[in-house]
Amino acid sequence: MLAASPLHHCWLAEIIRLREARWGPLDDTDAVRQARHAGGSFQQRLLTRARVLGEREQLSQVLNQWHSLARVALLLLALAALFTGAATAAGALGDGSRSVNSILALVALLGLPTLTLLLWLLSAFMQPGQTSGLAQAGLWISNKLARGPNASLAPAALLELTQQRRSTRALSGVVSHSLWLLALLAGVVTLVALLSARRYNFNWETTLLSPEAFVAITHGLGVLPGLLGFSTPSEAIIRASDGLQTLPDSANALWSGWLIGCVVVYGILPRLVLLVLNVAIARKRMGHCLPDPALPGFAELHDRLMPASTPAGIDAPAPPLFTPQKGLQDHADTLAGSAAIVGLELPHELAWPPFELPDGVANLGNIDGRSERHAVLDRLYADHPAHLMIVCDASQTPDRGTLAFLAELAKPVTGRGHFLLLQSTSRGERLTTWQHMLKQAGFNKDNVHTHPQQARNWLATVVTPQATHKGSPTP
Amino acid sequence: MTAPARPLRLAVVGHTNTGKTSLLRTLTRDPDFGQVADQPGTTRHVEGANLLIDGQVALQLFDTPGLEDSIALLDYLDVLAPPAQRLDGPDRIRRFLDSPESTRRFEQEARVLRQLLECDAGLYVVDVRDPVLGKHKDELSLLASCGHPVLPVLNFVNAPAQRLEQWRTALARLGLHASVEFDTVAPALDGEQQLYERLAILMDTHAGVLKALNQNVLEQRALRRRDALRLIAELLIDAAALRVSCPPDEESVRKHTLTFRETLRQRESACVRALLKRYNFKASDSPTNVLPLQGERWGMDLFHPQALKDMGIHLGKGMAAGAMAGATLDAFTAGLSLGAATLLGAAAGGLWQGADKLGKRVLGRVQGYRELTLDDPVLRLLAIRQLALLHALEHRGHAAQGPIDLNPFLNKETDTGLEKAALPDALLAARSQPTWSTLNSDYTASSKRADAVAQLEQALADTLSKTQNATTARP
Repeated sequence: MLAASPLHHCWLAEIIRLREARWGPLDDTDAVRQARHAGGSFQQRLLTRARVLGEREQLSQVLNQWHSLARVALLLLALAALFTGAATAAGALGDGSRSVNSILALVALLGLPTLTLLLWLLSAFMQPGQTSGLAQAGLWISNKLARGPNASLAPAALLELTQQRRSTRALSGVVSHSLWLLALLAGVVTLVALLSARRYNFNWETTLLSPEAFVAITHGLGVLPGLLGFSTPSEAIIRASDGLQTLPDSANALWSGWLIGCVVVYGILPRLVLLVLNVAIARKRMGHCLPDPALPGFAELHDRLMPASTPAGIDAPAPPLFTPQKGLQDHADTLAGSAAIVGLELPHELAWPPFELPDGVANLGNIDGRSERHAVLDRLYADHPAHLMIVCDASQTPDRGTLAFLAELAKPVTGRGHFLLLQSTSRGERLTTWQHMLKQAGFNKDNVHTHPQQARNWLATVVTPQATHKGSPTP
Repeated sequence: MTAPARPLRLAVVGHTNTGKTSLLRTLTRDPDFGQVADQPGTTRHVEGANLLIDGQVALQLFDTPGLEDSIALLDYLDVLAPPAQRLDGPDRIRRFLDSPESTRRFEQEARVLRQLLECDAGLYVVDVRDPVLGKHKDELSLLASCGHPVLPVLNFVNAPAQRLEQWRTALARLGLHASVEFDTVAPALDGEQQLYERLAILMDTHAGVLKALNQNVLEQRALRRRDALRLIAELLIDAAALRVSCPPDEESVRKHTLTFRETLRQRESACVRALLKRYNFKASDSPTNVLPLQGERWGMDLFHPQALKDMGIHLGKGMAAGAMAGATLDAFTAGLSLGAATLLGAAAGGLWQGADKLGKRVLGRVQGYRELTLDDPVLRLLAIRQLALLHALEHRGHAAQGPIDLNPFLNKETDTGLEKAALPDALLAARSQPTWSTLNSDYTASSKRADAVAQLEQALADTLSKTQNATTARP
């Protein structure tokens, strides 16, 4: 019955939460996968995860064990209550050999139940939020009885759960009121049985009080039972019941009716009302039991159980990295001849040309875009300069298209292609990428300069002023 | 189950190394998605991710390889389908996709264009630190040929050297007037919303899905903040209520103080890990000092007087002395915190309530034991540090790879109100309730503690939003 209830699932989730808080997280990869697969709201997924983990860690068993133990304990308590109630009633009436003191019998029957009831009410009103004594006691006992670390988790989790829902008092109220109710019912049944089967004489005794006091007490107590139809002895009978006169049987019957009525109205009815009230409160607060998703231990699981996104796979495996290759080998560097310089996609902040050009170096301009690329290539094929200095912005990312174009630029050059890497902004790591990729593309690492002066020196040594083309910057 | 409406499909496209994968990481809140590096060609295949709302796929995002060779590809397209043939954009692209070069030199570009043809729209990611170049314009004209709306996403807008205005002008000249600023490393709080809103303008047929996505972003953010504040409130209550009793001699006080501090450090790092998990950032499994938190401030020990001074927290006289800073020695409050009403409640339940516990406390009192509690300044420090972390996590993109930086929150000019003003009532209440601290061995669940946590959560929420507003309001 309990296994299927939402309370059971909730309880199990709380046990797992406490366990993980105390002794560190459990390996829950499989449980999380199952929970994700099962779907539902975050709370439902928490429950699924707890169910899977609970089965694996045998915490469900612990819970079931604790549950059956609690059932046995409750059964024993109920039996004890029945026995106590019956014994109290039998003790209050005695064996009939001597007459029954009606007031003392009433005190024996109702004294303890009324006292505990008053204390319960008092603590309920004064400390509405506090853990009730019965719950504390239950927890204390089960901690003392607990074998193994897991066993104490079940009651602790139940306490957490009921405290979160402010129903600990109501639940413990259900238990204590039902036990008292059982005891009082047993008492009343015993009363009726004994009064039916034996002859009892009722009286009252006093040394201090006057008979009027007994009349007042008896009548006062008898008003409420009277409304329910229980008999109350008349004033004459009460006065006659001083133990000194022999009462008619009808008077004893009236006294027994009064006694039963008082137990029912002052013992059973309040307990019954409180029991019903507590059951209603507990049902309302514990019904639809779902874990609190904001609790530490639950909240962290949110993105794992309810991922914001899931992978959707790839279209096809990635091909090997494509690197454009420069076609021809470098010619002798010392060969003097014509030289040209071209800038590739340099931002405006960088001055063009980057240094004062040595005499005879053709300035092909800073190029960007398709038409300019075509124009420069056409020009290079027309002029066939011996050497070419290509200036690039090392703050940008070198891409395949750029490298392919650099390889094309180098083709018509009869001597060597040299590079100058300038940085428009300081992003050093990209400079390394440029150097690496130029090397991959087959360019000699010695031909890559990072200082304008270096590049200018090289240009100055290779250029022969006679071979100058009348170069002008490309528009 | 009825099949949900077809999810919206977006291709994330752009030049190489502009942060396409980073954008996906941030939008999916998944720091493990794909590969990110400051290098060209890091992603060489199309990889998808499903964005879920309540477990249903609402949006499919596709990470694509970077476009690197657009200039050459446009040349090739002109050969394949000369403009004179008057083919429309998608037809030209399809002709390219059927051509042999689409599996060779332009294999990567083909993957991108194929994906964009299949999607509803494209997000064109721009690194605004790069200059606007001809190749970018060629890329955009290629993408426009696919016949789907393209929304430029301006990445790295928070970088110091950027050309946001140049990009805006260039995009407008190409007819792209709608664009969105979205820094993948430190996105604005409403960054995702803006992105979805702009998209909704471009594609009004999908406005419903985009609105739902927007709504979901807001809800999830509120949920995360609520959970995070709860975690912090629990930490503070645990810390405020912690009491360690120790014998009065100096040696044991010293020893117990060390344990006391270690307990709190571990509790703090547990909270940090939980917060990181809730925000789906990676936490190393190692203890606090290896957590990816930047700055001297975090590295500074919780109990170091300098850590408090730095945060503008007023130091008590005892703290400045430093020797055993952080813990206060109180006289043993034997039984006082239990209160008369609790004892009464215990009586109602049969006088069970932790008789052994009470006994222990009375014994401690008789033996002259002392109790260690956390100093107010350290408690303030704890609160401010956790709020700073929460602030940092809210403003961190899942693409961020640097350490978490707490300084923006800590260096603010306005006080959080936690530095000097009276501590929140809930914390003061926790001071006298040793059973509220889960760090204490006699922790008991109580709904009063739950109330205190809720109250503190609210106080922290107010503090956080007040400070955040003050920070953003400052010019």
